[in-house]
Amino acid sequence: MALLVGTGLIVKIVLLILVFFSVVSWAIIMFKLVQIHRANSESLRFMDFFWKSKRFDAIASQVDRFASSPLTVLFNEGYGELKKVVETDSSSDGSALSTDLGGVENVSRALRRATNSEITRLEKYLTFLATTGSTSPFIGLFGTVWGIMTAFEGIGKTGSASLAVVAPGIAEALVATAIGLVAAIPAVMGYNHFQHKIRVLIKEMDSFSTEFLNIVQRNIAGK
Amino acid sequence: MTARQTTIDSGMGVSCIASTVVHLAVFLLLVWWGKLFPVSMNLQETYYVDVVNLPVSAPQAGSPQQKGNDTEAAPQASKLPESPMTVPQAPKSSSKTAKTATKSPDQNESAFADRMSRLEGKSAARQQEATLERLRSKVTASGSGRAGMPGASGKTAGSNYKDYIQSRLEDALKVTSFYTTIKPEVVVRLYIATDGKLSKMKIERSSGDSAFEIAVRRAIELASDKFPPPPNHKEVDLGVIFNRKGVSPNQH
Repeated sequence: MALLVGTGLIVKIVLLILVFFSVVSWAIIMFKLVQIHRANSESLRFMDFFWKSKRFDAIASQVDRFASSPLTVLFNEGYGELKKVVETDSSSDGSALSTDLGGVENVSRALRRATNSEITRLEKYLTFLATTGSTSPFIGLFGTVWGIMTAFEGIGKTGSASLAVVAPGIAEALVATAIGLVAAIPAVMGYNHFQHKIRVLIKEMDSFSTEFLNIVQRNIAGK
Repeated sequence: MTARQTTIDSGMGVSCIASTVVHLAVFLLLVWWGKLFPVSMNLQETYYVDVVNLPVSAPQAGSPQQKGNDTEAAPQASKLPESPMTVPQAPKSSSKTAKTATKSPDQNESAFADRMSRLEGKSAARQQEATLERLRSKVTASGSGRAGMPGASGKTAGSNYKDYIQSRLEDALKVTSFYTTIKPEVVVRLYIATDGKLSKMKIERSSGDSAFEIAVRRAIELASDKFPPPPNHKEVDLGVIFNRKGVSPNQH
């Protein structure tokens, strides 16, 4: 506590910035932990429900139960687009195969768009973690360098270089580096962890898109 | 999508509040920990041993010639022999043989051996006498023979109560030293009570460097915590000069 009180203005500002970084980083880590945990567990439940159901409209009526899963967004988008294609098909006079394939393409594009929007949603705020992880140690180092400069100035003024004069100033300055590292280490760990989890979710979304398109194509071809 | 976005933002807000609370809790925990186990930055005290006067039975006791009234005096050194070791005398018969040495080669050899033994004996006796003389002069010159501890009344550096106090002050000044002028100097008179506590302190003269005066006051405060009681249970007043180089006695 005495170390914090004894620091200069610049070092105090640096410490405040680092504390802000740390608070926001931990907020993002907590939020992402909950978000990704929910996305994973509800995706598993949704896939189970999806394979057990026989009809898309039955799934669409129950999809609100799995609101946190990115797969439900994909399903909604794909199913919505499929309905539009079917409605357009039924309103037109013929049912040529070329039109059916065009419909599958439409669904594929809708699924790709939904996947991209979900990736963006899942990766939101992660850039802040990356920024904190890479810049906090440097900000802390800046505070330390400034603190040591001030300490040496004081030593020069007093004319005494005894350990009792030098040590407190350096200890105060090093607090900035310590807090910089305290902010950066969890941010880097969290960033890497969430990147891995999001990559797994992206693979799941790709697999689901492929399965959805297969089902759509089988049904249209089997008309 | 808008409803989903709103949910996300409220979730982030809740996380921010939770994170702030956690950081505050950690900060308070650290403050509490710091109060519970304060970090002490005291430097260890340096002890000096007077090597010249080291051979005493106990460091508190002093030398055999101590003039103080301490109860725990050193044991008396074994008395030196009054007369130097006698030179071994050659047997009388040998002198007789010396007189007749010229008579035969065997007699000459024995006379030579006798003379050599006498010379060796004389040399050893002289050496021993010189060693004893050196020891006597050293004991006489050393006064009380204290080993740098308070309570004695000798005059050798490190064996005097005032010298001891001066060295403690010098140690403390090394820690607190702080000055803003080129030649700071403060002359102080200290009055030490019978129990070793500093009863009064008076700045007699100062070069005007207020920073150095503060450093001197702090040094005196720091050192006075560990002043031992003066010898003979008498109050001691001590004049010292503090300057950039250290502490020296004030002779006036």
